[in-house]
Amino acid sequence: MGDAGFTTYLVDDDPAVLRSITRLLKAGGYKTKSFSSPQKFLSSHDPSVPGCAIIDLVMSELDGLRLQEALARSGSQRPIIFLTGRGDVPTSVRAMKAGAVDFLTKPVKRDALFSAVVHAAELDAASRQKRQESKSIDERLATLTHREREVLEHVIAGRLNKQIAASLGTVEKTIKVHRGRMMAKLGMRSVAELVRLADRAGIAPARSDP
Amino acid sequence: MDQIVPDMSMRSLQERAERFGGANTVRNVLIVAIAYYLGAEIAFLIGTLSDRIFAPFWPPNIVLFCALLITPPRQWWIYIAAALPAHILAELRVGMPVSQFIVAFATNCLVAIANAFAVQRLMVEPPWFGTIRKTIIYVLITAFLSPAFCALGGAFVQILGGGSLEDYGLFWARWYASNALGSLTLGPIAMICIESTTRPRLAPAGRAVEAAIVAALLIAACVVAFEDLPSIATGYLPLLLYLPLPIIVWAAVRFGAKGASGAVFVISVALIWRTLNGPSLFDIGSPETNVFGMQLFLIGLSPPILLLGAAIEETRRAERTTRESEERISFAAASSNVGLWQYEFATGTFWATDYCRTLFGLSPSEPLTLDGLVSRIHPNDSPTASAALASAIARAIPLDVEFRVQDGDEVRWISVQARPVAGDDGKPTAMSGAFGDVTSRKLAEAEADVQQQEIAHLMRVSMLGELSGGLAHELTQPLTAILSNAQAGKLLLAKGNKSLSEIGNIFDDIIAEDERAGEVIHRLRSMLKKGDVKHETIDMNDLIASTLRLLHSELIDRRMSVSFDNAASLPAVHGDPVQLQQTLLNLLMNAMDATENVPPARRTISVSTATTDDGGVQVKIYDRGTGLPPLREHEVFQPFFTTKKRGLGLGLSICTSIVKLHGGALSLQNNVREGASAVFRLPPPLD
Repeated sequence: MGDAGFTTYLVDDDPAVLRSITRLLKAGGYKTKSFSSPQKFLSSHDPSVPGCAIIDLVMSELDGLRLQEALARSGSQRPIIFLTGRGDVPTSVRAMKAGAVDFLTKPVKRDALFSAVVHAAELDAASRQKRQESKSIDERLATLTHREREVLEHVIAGRLNKQIAASLGTVEKTIKVHRGRMMAKLGMRSVAELVRLADRAGIAPARSDP
Repeated sequence: MDQIVPDMSMRSLQERAERFGGANTVRNVLIVAIAYYLGAEIAFLIGTLSDRIFAPFWPPNIVLFCALLITPPRQWWIYIAAALPAHILAELRVGMPVSQFIVAFATNCLVAIANAFAVQRLMVEPPWFGTIRKTIIYVLITAFLSPAFCALGGAFVQILGGGSLEDYGLFWARWYASNALGSLTLGPIAMICIESTTRPRLAPAGRAVEAAIVAALLIAACVVAFEDLPSIATGYLPLLLYLPLPIIVWAAVRFGAKGASGAVFVISVALIWRTLNGPSLFDIGSPETNVFGMQLFLIGLSPPILLLGAAIEETRRAERTTRESEERISFAAASSNVGLWQYEFATGTFWATDYCRTLFGLSPSEPLTLDGLVSRIHPNDSPTASAALASAIARAIPLDVEFRVQDGDEVRWISVQARPVAGDDGKPTAMSGAFGDVTSRKLAEAEADVQQQEIAHLMRVSMLGELSGGLAHELTQPLTAILSNAQAGKLLLAKGNKSLSEIGNIFDDIIAEDERAGEVIHRLRSMLKKGDVKHETIDMNDLIASTLRLLHSELIDRRMSVSFDNAASLPAVHGDPVQLQQTLLNLLMNAMDATENVPPARRTISVSTATTDDGGVQVKIYDRGTGLPPLREHEVFQPFFTTKKRGLGLGLSICTSIVKLHGGALSLQNNVREGASAVFRLPPPLD
């Protein structure tokens, strides 16, 4: 039972298999979109919709691993579950290394499929949440003025207001004002919080003056 | 046997001649001398009976001739020397002057030598009176040329004895007639006696009795005919002359040359006896003239009789030769397991050698008829074999079929080959053929077939082994669908879903997918099964499509594709679908292997079908792979030739024999640009 809006995208060029697994996923309560052609799936793919892809590894048009590459190239981080007719170790290693969630052997059992989907849903949700967070941080960081940003970099470097003022060639009072605004804009209540945020946003601390 | 016996008799003659020159020479010389003397005495005896006229024939010449005939020329002088004292003794006894008897002896020797030389050279070997040709030669030489020539000298004997030179012609004629008569009457029977001694043959008692009866009747007829019976008017004389004729013919027909020469001898003796002993048929004038008339009569009568005997002999020999050669052929045929037969169209008569009984298991008591043989044909083969036989005979066309014959518990394979025999006008008059026992060949063929089937089966198994990954996937797909459908259905029911139409759809899909899996298994099983060769009508397009389905996953796995250009309204072919599918599979897999390491753009195999000119089917498998090894294209069909790392090298060899078995041909060659093409053609069904 995924979150609302969570969709399983099923790609298999065998219509009977496609129909049956679609049926199973739907009976399991998943919103399912099925594609008999990997190309059609690629062209109509919307990465913003939460969900996972269940892809047959062996397809005549475009096989599963290539579809995986194509998805990655298009910037999608949708988790992928592979279905395969045989337990081919080298292929599964390649698929997993490229970030596949699971590698299921046909005929696939309900529990294995559903648990893989659940796992994929969790991963998808987590990654989406992560992306959401970094997105809001970026937005807040974007509201800072140049000076405020400079002050931020010095603060997370653990410097005192006096030291910052000296570095930036201004008075301590001005730094205090900038610091107060910056903390308010970012919604930070402590330096520790600020350090964690800067770390997550990938902001490097300012280098101390010689 | 006839070709052999003369050789033997000649050899035995010569062997005897060798003996003449060896320890027995003295004895033989004595025999010849005594016989010569006795012959002269007989001549004188006959002559004496008629007022000492010249003898009507001169037996000593025949004695000398016979002695020379069976002796090599280098020994002739011995017998001539032996004859001389006998001659002197005999002539001196009748008081012949020395000059006369020397000339007489010289001419006698001359005629004997001439005759013996000519007979040895021209008639070569006994039987001397076996053919018309030889008999004519004998008569021409010994009764005409040789005595006519020698009489040129012989005529002087009487002139030396006081005869007038003016009568030279008469003396010549008498000398000639006397020698010719001897050659015609005594010569043949003497020669035949000599022949018989070299080839002693005990005549059956019946033949001997018949010969005796004929001889007795002939003597009686001669006595009646040549006796000037007062009761018979002279006007009936010609009739009397004919009296011995039927008996002569009887003798000649029944006893051939022997009978003829014997009859001539009997008539001569009877007639001479009669002529010399008073009133005879030849009552012309002086006794000399009467005797001369009688001589001429006998000289004229003898050749036809001798020729008749020879003709009969020749015919009989030809018959015997034919019969013997027939027997020989039959024997040869039987010893090579062949029975011969002939069917005459005009009369409907059927002749066959006895070995046919053995072949068809007929007992000796059963009649050897065509129907009798046909009835023995195995029930399974009988309709076709009988029809082929009947049709060939009815239409007079060559026949070549094989069928089984049920002989008790034993089943034999018989082949029959026959051809029409043309008569003198070129139209077929008969059907001549041979039955042969081909059981051992058939068994060997069957064994080879079994082995071929075994190998073909092993190759199928091995091919499917190579394809196992792809084939498993072909099964996995429907199984996946079935499982997912079933689980979905169960889930729906567990959740209290009441949508019966959805449940119905699920069941429909499960059924369809089960059938799909079943088809895969069926295809696999037929390929894996080691069954008998089937003969079915096959749609090649269907067979190719089914083969491509079998390869579906494998092709995807290998990132290859196959395009299939199937000809519309392709004629059906006849054959074994499993074997043909094996061929297709093998050729496709070869193409796939050849395409494995080429750029993706070239990994396309094209299969196409087409109708051939003769109404058969052509299948072409075209790839753009690495092609055949250059200069070794012809080797690819050899068993154990392979270019693959793990190939057995039997695939194409099996494919070739399968296609051949279907009456078709398989070829494989490199394309002009890249890759290779395999093409096989199958003939249209026979019916």
